[in-house]
Amino acid sequence: MGMKNNKTGLYKLAALTATPLILAACGNGNSDAEDTSNPGSEGASGEQVELEFWSFWGSGPRRDTIEAIIEDFNETNDTITVEYVYQPWGDIWTKALAAIAGGNAPDVIVQDINSVRQRADANQATNLQAFIDEEDISGEFYPQLWETVLFEDEAYAVPFNTDTQVLFYNLDAFEEAGLDPDSPPATWDELEEMARALDQESGESWEQIGFYPRWNIGADVWTLNADGGTSWFDEEGNVAINTPEKVDALEWMLDWQDYYGRDTITQYEAEFGSGVADPFISGLVAMRGQNINYYTNLRENAPDDFRFGVAPLPEREEGSGNWSWGGGFVLEIPENTSHPEESYEFIRYLTSTDVQERFGMNSFDIMANVEANENLADNTELDERAQMIYDMANQNLEQTVITPVPLNAPDYLSLVNTQIDAAFLGEKTAEEALEDAQNSVENLVEQHQ
Amino acid sequence: MKAVEEQSQFKKAVSEVRQLRKKKWSPSQKKEAMWGLLFVSPFIIGFLGFMFLPMMFSFIGSFTNYNITSRMDFIGLTNFRRMFTQDELFTTSLYNTAYYVIFNVPLTAIGSVFLAVLLNRQIRGIRLFRTIFYLPAVLSGVAVYVLWMQLLSPSTGLINTILSWVGISGPSWLFDPQWTKPALIIMRLWSVGGAMLLYLATLQNVPKQLYESAEVDGAGFTRQFFHITLPMITPIIFYDVVTSTIGAFQIFQEAYVMTEGGTGGPANSLLFYNLHMWNQAFVAYNMGYAMAMSMILFLIVLTLTFINLKLAPRWVHY
Repeated sequence: MGMKNNKTGLYKLAALTATPLILAACGNGNSDAEDTSNPGSEGASGEQVELEFWSFWGSGPRRDTIEAIIEDFNETNDTITVEYVYQPWGDIWTKALAAIAGGNAPDVIVQDINSVRQRADANQATNLQAFIDEEDISGEFYPQLWETVLFEDEAYAVPFNTDTQVLFYNLDAFEEAGLDPDSPPATWDELEEMARALDQESGESWEQIGFYPRWNIGADVWTLNADGGTSWFDEEGNVAINTPEKVDALEWMLDWQDYYGRDTITQYEAEFGSGVADPFISGLVAMRGQNINYYTNLRENAPDDFRFGVAPLPEREEGSGNWSWGGGFVLEIPENTSHPEESYEFIRYLTSTDVQERFGMNSFDIMANVEANENLADNTELDERAQMIYDMANQNLEQTVITPVPLNAPDYLSLVNTQIDAAFLGEKTAEEALEDAQNSVENLVEQHQ
Repeated sequence: MKAVEEQSQFKKAVSEVRQLRKKKWSPSQKKEAMWGLLFVSPFIIGFLGFMFLPMMFSFIGSFTNYNITSRMDFIGLTNFRRMFTQDELFTTSLYNTAYYVIFNVPLTAIGSVFLAVLLNRQIRGIRLFRTIFYLPAVLSGVAVYVLWMQLLSPSTGLINTILSWVGISGPSWLFDPQWTKPALIIMRLWSVGGAMLLYLATLQNVPKQLYESAEVDGAGFTRQFFHITLPMITPIIFYDVVTSTIGAFQIFQEAYVMTEGGTGGPANSLLFYNLHMWNQAFVAYNMGYAMAMSMILFLIVLTLTFINLKLAPRWVHY
């Protein structure tokens, strides 16, 4: 009797667990039926594919635009439906990594441009070369951006947007100081001269600080600017940290710190950090090096009568080049997803000139597609300032370097930064610091071999 | 002779135990055992699935070049060799963490005992004070760290403003590598409320007559504190020290939030062990190396806990 009871219990259990499966199966059947009855989907082969697209655009114009763009894509495309999933900035890539390892990755994801090779090497991204071979789209993008998506000469991502570091300067402050607002500093010497003219000291504090190189731009950008566009690693992948030009650049930055005083600098820095008021908008800082996307900040927060100009980063000396640095994001298909072809079609859509132009127009991002930026620079729907920004970006990208993470030392940056910090704390000279950094990173490269 | 006797006694005991084991369980005993296992199964399953298996995986992974997605080759002791002979940041991170543990553990213990003693009085409004001091322990996470970043701001922060009233020009705290760790330790002291609550409960269990007889004997507050209160609460101090040592070694969140995405702060002064490990695992994809690091941390904490347990009988009064 007991046995029998147990058995019926088992059957009940089996029935209970099976119910949701059966229900799910019914559900699928229903939706399939709906699909075929949908007059929009043509042909029997037109199987519906749903794609999951992850990005970190959670609010504001970027989110609105991407959602509108996806809506249009879904409306015009009969077989593919894209679902937009927002993942917070701090989580998205760790989550993606876990999802890839767990075999349930999204179909398309916005990724960091600098680590494409790393992911390609670790089998985290789908090789897109077969698609590129069919239709070579590499020429549509800025060459240095396309370079970042190649691993062993094959493409693993498509660039989406980018950025570049430029100099913003306050036109009113220039006029007030008797400087010509139409000729921003072109060299480091001019930058220093103009900064001195713009400086206004009052007692122990500053009413106006002309310029400080390390605000909003890292030491890495100025060293790269000084060294003909060579970052901490040269083109062959050798460690190129203690070059004479970079030592020069670091000494130059240290001179700026000495001029204003280390305490003054940290104090102001801490205040900027807490984001109370933007020092450029408030007029405390007259010139500011920053990524060009800072324009969106000015648009949103600066008063209407705030007048500013943009210029390339000054060059170390005449002829050394206005080298700048940039970053950006790419679109990737994680490894082992079920619909790479459809996913690529969606990526192709997002990186096409029209869609790129549309995204840029609403978000003021600098796009990866060259033609899109050129169109935006002439787009009369944008105001003059926005056109100026796109024009500047387009021009500046000719001398903008992207610095992908080197595969043989992915974690090198903190080693370099320690040494640079030591120099700014007065513990080491510029030469010693960069020498030590060179050795540290060479040692790291060895560890990874 | 005595030895032989002891031996035979031992043998007897062993055979008794064997018999006990052999003895079949009655159905009711079996049923009881099943129910018992059923009731502890959530813990056992949780422990096996979420602690033991991952730890085993981590142990095995520490001898490989595992990178989460594409490779997992056995590379022997390479990870450990790299850790102790080549990785500069490993030493830095270990130093930073040790510094933090050495100051944080005793200071929070002293701080919470001190607060608990102060709040163990029968005066008006004591409940309000207890709540106020306990409150920070409930608040946690990013919001608190952001708040403290503002409090610690060199020129406009509340802390330096108060210091300036007494003529001290405060340091740059989170911007000066010499002050970043002290800043963090001070910040952590703010939330001693959790441990304080434990002490408060224990203090109220100390028998009143001990104090009464001490008073009759003429012992003052300090003597009472050191000769009655402190010895009576040593078990809880012990518990608190052991758990907070383990916790302090795992400091991560604070540094991750306060140093812009885990960069380690000025001159890597806030690059704690777990932060370095995290960077290795999820930034450089050196998961095998990170697993090896976690094994070393496990060993360090295990050793310290063991030492703690060994030393306990000397100062803990049960």
